[in-house]
Amino acid sequence: MLIVESLQKSFQLDDDEVCAVDNLSFEVQPGEVYGLLGPNGAGKTTTLRMILGLVKPDAGYAQVSGFRTEVDPTAVKSRLGFVSASDGVYPWLSVREMLLYFADLYGVLPNEAASRCEHLAALMGIKPLLDRRAGTLSTGQRQRVTLVRGLIHDPPVMLLDEPTRGLDVVGVQTIFEYIEHLREVGKAVVVCTHRLDEAERLCDRFGLLHHGRMQQTGTLPQLRQQSGHDHLVDMFIELLRS
Amino acid sequence: MPGVSLKGRLLRLCQKELKETIRDRRTIVTLVLMPLLVYPIMSMALNRFLLTNVSSDDGFTICVSSELESEILDQWLSNPLSVPPKAIADSSGGELAKFQVAVITDVPPAEAVARNDADVGMELSNIETGNPTATFFAYRGDSVSQAARRVVVERLQWLKLAEAENLLKRTLPDYRTPVLVSAEDVGSVEENSLLATIVPLVLVLMTITGAVYPAIDLTAGERERGTMEAVMASPVPRGYVLLSKYTAVVVVALLTAIANLVAMFTTLWASGLLEFLTGGDAFPWLTILQMLGLLVLFSGFFSAVLLSLTSFAKSFKEAQAYLIPVMLLSLTPAMLSLMPGITLSGALIVLPLVNIILLARDLLSGSVDPNNAFVAIVSTFAYAAAALSVAARLFGSDAVTRTSEKSIGSLLRRPREASSRPTPQAAALMLALLVPVYFLVSNGLMRFIKTSEDLNVSFALLLNAIALIFTFGLIPALAAWMGRNRFKTTFRIQPSGLLSFIGAILLGLGAWAFAHEAFLLADAIGIGGLSDQQIASAEASVTKMRESSALLLIACFALTPAVIEEFCFRGYLFSAIRGAATPLRTILITAFLFGLFHVLTGKALLVERFVPSTLMGLIIGWVAYRTRSVFPGIVIHFVHNGLLMLVLYYQDQLSFLGEGFDDQMHLPPLWLAAASALVMTGTLLIWVSSRNQPPGKSENKSDQQQADTRVT
Repeated sequence: MLIVESLQKSFQLDDDEVCAVDNLSFEVQPGEVYGLLGPNGAGKTTTLRMILGLVKPDAGYAQVSGFRTEVDPTAVKSRLGFVSASDGVYPWLSVREMLLYFADLYGVLPNEAASRCEHLAALMGIKPLLDRRAGTLSTGQRQRVTLVRGLIHDPPVMLLDEPTRGLDVVGVQTIFEYIEHLREVGKAVVVCTHRLDEAERLCDRFGLLHHGRMQQTGTLPQLRQQSGHDHLVDMFIELLRS
Repeated sequence: MPGVSLKGRLLRLCQKELKETIRDRRTIVTLVLMPLLVYPIMSMALNRFLLTNVSSDDGFTICVSSELESEILDQWLSNPLSVPPKAIADSSGGELAKFQVAVITDVPPAEAVARNDADVGMELSNIETGNPTATFFAYRGDSVSQAARRVVVERLQWLKLAEAENLLKRTLPDYRTPVLVSAEDVGSVEENSLLATIVPLVLVLMTITGAVYPAIDLTAGERERGTMEAVMASPVPRGYVLLSKYTAVVVVALLTAIANLVAMFTTLWASGLLEFLTGGDAFPWLTILQMLGLLVLFSGFFSAVLLSLTSFAKSFKEAQAYLIPVMLLSLTPAMLSLMPGITLSGALIVLPLVNIILLARDLLSGSVDPNNAFVAIVSTFAYAAAALSVAARLFGSDAVTRTSEKSIGSLLRRPREASSRPTPQAAALMLALLVPVYFLVSNGLMRFIKTSEDLNVSFALLLNAIALIFTFGLIPALAAWMGRNRFKTTFRIQPSGLLSFIGAILLGLGAWAFAHEAFLLADAIGIGGLSDQQIASAEASVTKMRESSALLLIACFALTPAVIEEFCFRGYLFSAIRGAATPLRTILITAFLFGLFHVLTGKALLVERFVPSTLMGLIIGWVAYRTRSVFPGIVIHFVHNGLLMLVLYYQDQLSFLGEGFDDQMHLPPLWLAAASALVMTGTLLIWVSSRNQPPGKSENKSDQQQADTRVT
């Protein structure tokens, strides 16, 4: 499971210090999909990057399966899967070579990596693409390869940053099915998005982020009770106006 | 990640980077197409240049339009009176230019010269009068044609003059030539073949051409493709990813350079230009082997520099903007190889890029100084390591935020948070600064002492100590301050028990005997050894040192090096390397560096110091590891140096001890037995004193504390 405790991060922009994430805490249990929601610049991506160890927090920590980011970042990284809308592929490698490369980065043994590669490729319907050069794939195919890549080391926690950005209806549906699969196999999933309609369909619990602070958190019924609105969109508009 | 071999992983990462680069068709263009196309075209241009600028062995061709003119010209040129006096011939190179006369009837001589059928054309008028007028035609701007005309006109002038002089002598028997002239040369000519002059320039171009594209693609390109963030999110150490990229860039640069080399030599050989460039008949296999060695050096250096620069860039375009000025700047020192007056000496030995270009030229012309070559190679590797450490600090940092947190300026900024020890990258940077500064300071100091004959010996000793403090003392201290490393942990300033100090004194007293035996062993296997001249020079230095007080000698040659060098090697470097390596490797690396720096003293490389110094480095390294402190090492170093200094100082008074002090002889068995007893007792005391504090755990105390805080 994932625990985020009092994460804090400020950036220096010219002479000003901008607080990107302010004392943020939440937990995600295995088999749960947590939606970290907020407008652009709310601090969602910075939060994910702090969990991933790409950004050093000013204070606080994230804990994955008992390992804390500031103590053992390598152990944390090896237990996290990460998929972002801006992820690319290596154009001159075959899909199989690319997936095995990432398996190697995560320390998966070569034999195990090969069988996981076959299994996940079958699951995501990219088996015929495995020996194609990645540079020749369509956007939708690349997206599915990226989703397989995120799971190649079988991490207990998955982080998805704006996973549906720039995708068509079929692509979005693939993401939905993917997240459903993650839930079924017991992964703790964090989805960062500003697509609130999609989040309502996907997530079990929500954290509403604004100006780096957690404004509200809970399940949809709990949020409805707290805010007096039925939909996340209305809750957000009120949040932005306040 | 249990069960996964790190070396195997690194190898697979390198394979991936190589596959990705070599499959790219842009690499293929630089690797295959360019050499295939460029060299044949270049050789054609060179051939044309040589044809128009160099005379053939058959001499110059003069064309005339009739047999009569040909006969007359032949008579003039074969007349011994047309040969210039020996002094004139000697001052023009000594050899008489050859001429061939050709009769061309289809066009006038001027036109024949214009269409390159002859070097010079001649037309004779007024032949029938017995007083003919010769007009010579040369091609404007063609140096060969102009030279040929100048020589033939001079020959005819000499003919006129000699005939006039003979006439004078016949009519005036008392006539004497006003002055007799002779010419002689002094000095020697630098025998640089044309190949040795142009190859360094070609090497720079070859390696840069090969390294530029992969360096950009594997760093800035990775960012642009959107794969960098995913790589950085993985648990593989950043250094591994960078090292695999570096390997790929070096391999591609080498392959490109080798492809260029093969294409260049094949084209030169096929076009017949090779003989002209090498100045000999044999195929230059040795030159090719030397060039391969140089290519490794050039590729290693350029790949590191280019990777460090492209690590700053966020896009392909930005990376290109950084690299173009670097490429142009690199050509400037490359041009130095074309200048005959510039040699690999002084500060140029440690000047990046310039040193290896001059080394390449000297190596190919067979005039390389091994000492200077060694320093140039060591400093180049240090610069490459420094460039890589810069790359390691920046590489992947832009994956953190789209607006990069790190920039060129961030390298000069101190980190916000203090750390307990420097990183190995910071240590590499420190060494890259230390190598040239130490080389320049020690060289400068030696020159100063040598040129100041009336310099006070005590002052010279003090200068030596000050130089040591400024280099080995100040540079690591500055590096620790810049990195905001806590001085106490970085320089391993830890208290140590009385027992460990007693052990250190005993080790210091006994270790010199083994260092001496190691020196003799190294001599026996051909590493170092002292020549008679070196022994005489050392004896002269010892005699001179006796003019100073023993106390000052101990302060400058025992206390200062013991404190300063130990803080550098068993303090800063030990803690930096220990952060990334096992204790054994840390001891080995610091000992090797300790030995290496004792070789790099002044202009002459003191190779004979390597083995004994490295042995001392191993002993002190082990003590530093066991005691977790720099202080016992200082004591060993001080006692060892102090003992040697005192023995040298009081050599005459100690002569009753026998011949054991002879540098070239093994120590008597009794002495060795006593030294062994001292070393063993010292080792035992050190081991006992640190028995209750297993160094492996306490050395990594901060890591242990971190592990303890892990929540399970």
